[in-house]
Amino acid sequence: MDAHVGEPSRSSEIGINPGKRRRLVQPVGGYGATDSVEGTSHIPNAEIRDGGSSRRNPDAPDGVLRTNEQEQYDEEEEGLKYGAQHVIKLFAPVSLCMLVVVATINSVNFYNTKDVYLLYTPFHEQSPDTGTKIWNALANSLILMVVIVLMTILLIVLYKKRCYKVIHGWLILSSFMLLFFFSYLYLEELLRAYNIPMDYFTALLIMWNFGVAGMISIHWHGPLRLQQAYLIFVAALMALVFIKYLPEWTTWVVLAVISIWDLIAVLSPRGPLRILVETAQERNEQIFPALIYSSTIMYSYMGTHHPDLLSNRNEASETGTSHQNVGEGTPLVRYIENRDAFDVCQLFALKTLSVEKERIYLPLAHGMSLIADSRKLFNISIIFLDNAAGFTEEWTTTNGPRSERRQVEVQANSTGNQNRPAQYRTVTTQSQPVQNYEPEPEERGIKLGLGDFIFYSVLVGKASSYGDWNTTIACFVAILIGLCLTLLLLAICRKALPALPISIFFGLMFCFATNAIAKPFTEKLAAEQAFI
Amino acid sequence: MDLSRAPNDRKLYLCKWYFRAGFIFLPFVWAVNTIWFFKEAFRQPEYDEQKEIRKYVIYSAIGSVVWAVAIVAWVLTFQLNRADWGEFADSISFIIPLGRA
Repeated sequence: MDAHVGEPSRSSEIGINPGKRRRLVQPVGGYGATDSVEGTSHIPNAEIRDGGSSRRNPDAPDGVLRTNEQEQYDEEEEGLKYGAQHVIKLFAPVSLCMLVVVATINSVNFYNTKDVYLLYTPFHEQSPDTGTKIWNALANSLILMVVIVLMTILLIVLYKKRCYKVIHGWLILSSFMLLFFFSYLYLEELLRAYNIPMDYFTALLIMWNFGVAGMISIHWHGPLRLQQAYLIFVAALMALVFIKYLPEWTTWVVLAVISIWDLIAVLSPRGPLRILVETAQERNEQIFPALIYSSTIMYSYMGTHHPDLLSNRNEASETGTSHQNVGEGTPLVRYIENRDAFDVCQLFALKTLSVEKERIYLPLAHGMSLIADSRKLFNISIIFLDNAAGFTEEWTTTNGPRSERRQVEVQANSTGNQNRPAQYRTVTTQSQPVQNYEPEPEERGIKLGLGDFIFYSVLVGKASSYGDWNTTIACFVAILIGLCLTLLLLAICRKALPALPISIFFGLMFCFATNAIAKPFTEKLAAEQAFI
Repeated sequence: MDLSRAPNDRKLYLCKWYFRAGFIFLPFVWAVNTIWFFKEAFRQPEYDEQKEIRKYVIYSAIGSVVWAVAIVAWVLTFQLNRADWGEFADSISFIIPLGRA
């Protein structure tokens, strides 16, 4: 058993390869089937581990099983209470991202000069004629939009088909490009701008360290702050790339068009981003960390469930309730529903259950991000068994039938069969999928897509590239106000909302208004020596 | 990743992993490891894995400090002697600063 507890350190790698995983499932089942006596002897062991983890969460919320309405109410109240806090939590990173872009635009000339253009923008707006320029900009942004739409749809299709490896590969490749090539370019231009000599060894060492640490913290585990910092930097870098390689007017048109696309993609019933968010919520998964900035912990679903589970367990043992205590819709049940066979095996075979490969249907071959955390499963599985069995003594006496029952449970659960005997309904699938569309009450953080960061920064950076600080600050304030309004709407609507339209609309309006009206006005005032 | 919620063996695994990764010329990873696990290693009530975590944190700290000293020393040498080294310095230069008029 101890070997099993030690196992998940390797199971994070196992998660990557389904073939390997299956191989591991079998010995677990065989092991459990043979020695049921040994299984019982490990219960105290499990409880000790458990106690240790519950001590680490002394401020766990009370584990009373609340009804859905109550939960809803609490959620709303807390949403309002913490809403303002979250607004500030998003202000800081967005401002930081813009700051990086604006500072770079103003100090590094490289990102201001237009010489090379993106492949997707074949029209370079070289002609002095305004009509041609407008036509070029529209054509460019149309091409770019088509590319973006196709990419988004491809991503959704891959996500729907559970091709997590392809998506991860794609994301890893793109973040690799950003963290290594574009950062290299950035370092070079930065040093050149400040005329700082540097040797190759130091430069390569910096790049290597920077890139690898970034890859680890974005795609694997790292301190939250580091991950956030890297995501902000990556977004800023991408924004700089857009500012540098898009023709002048195309940038503005792209900003306008992309916010409209964002509106469609998130709000229309068949919009790809909406599908992405809803599918992720249905599967109880995090959207890929490389795509989303999270104001709190990544993997918060798993993390925040710990206290609840623990307190559930404590309550169960205190009040002496049996395993019926694990009711429908508790986090634990939802948690278990979304495990795949390997996890279910771990979950059950920890004691005595024999689970054969054929009998378990894979309900979810989920992504690495969740598998990587499978070490957590051990605490949870122990909790579950305690919880399900009520008491250890009870467990030892009814060990045989219980394992049988659990087998049925696994089967019923995996096929999603609703009309099984009530006795086995301790682990049920949730019949109302509507519930899943709402944000999980356990997830308190607000998430903002990295794309939003990028395009906010593109707008502010582009505004600052004209060298007028009034315009830059006007844009900055406009975007933050837009973000506030979006977050307010988020508190009201309680569903995923596009963050671009309001902000970008305000930003564009303020930018052009300041440029066309406020700037000449202040200049005139300054020239006339009039102060208001 | 929230360390305070991770189980102890997971913490140890991560700390160890970071420590090992640092050997491939990644002093930054060591520095991250030191800072990230500092609280776990020294500020937490004791638990089984803590001793080992503490060991790795200390080694990582030593490693990153040694690297930092080495890098600073090398950069100082390079910056101070760049002009004297002449062609050799130019050949290893990533950026050669432009002269000012």
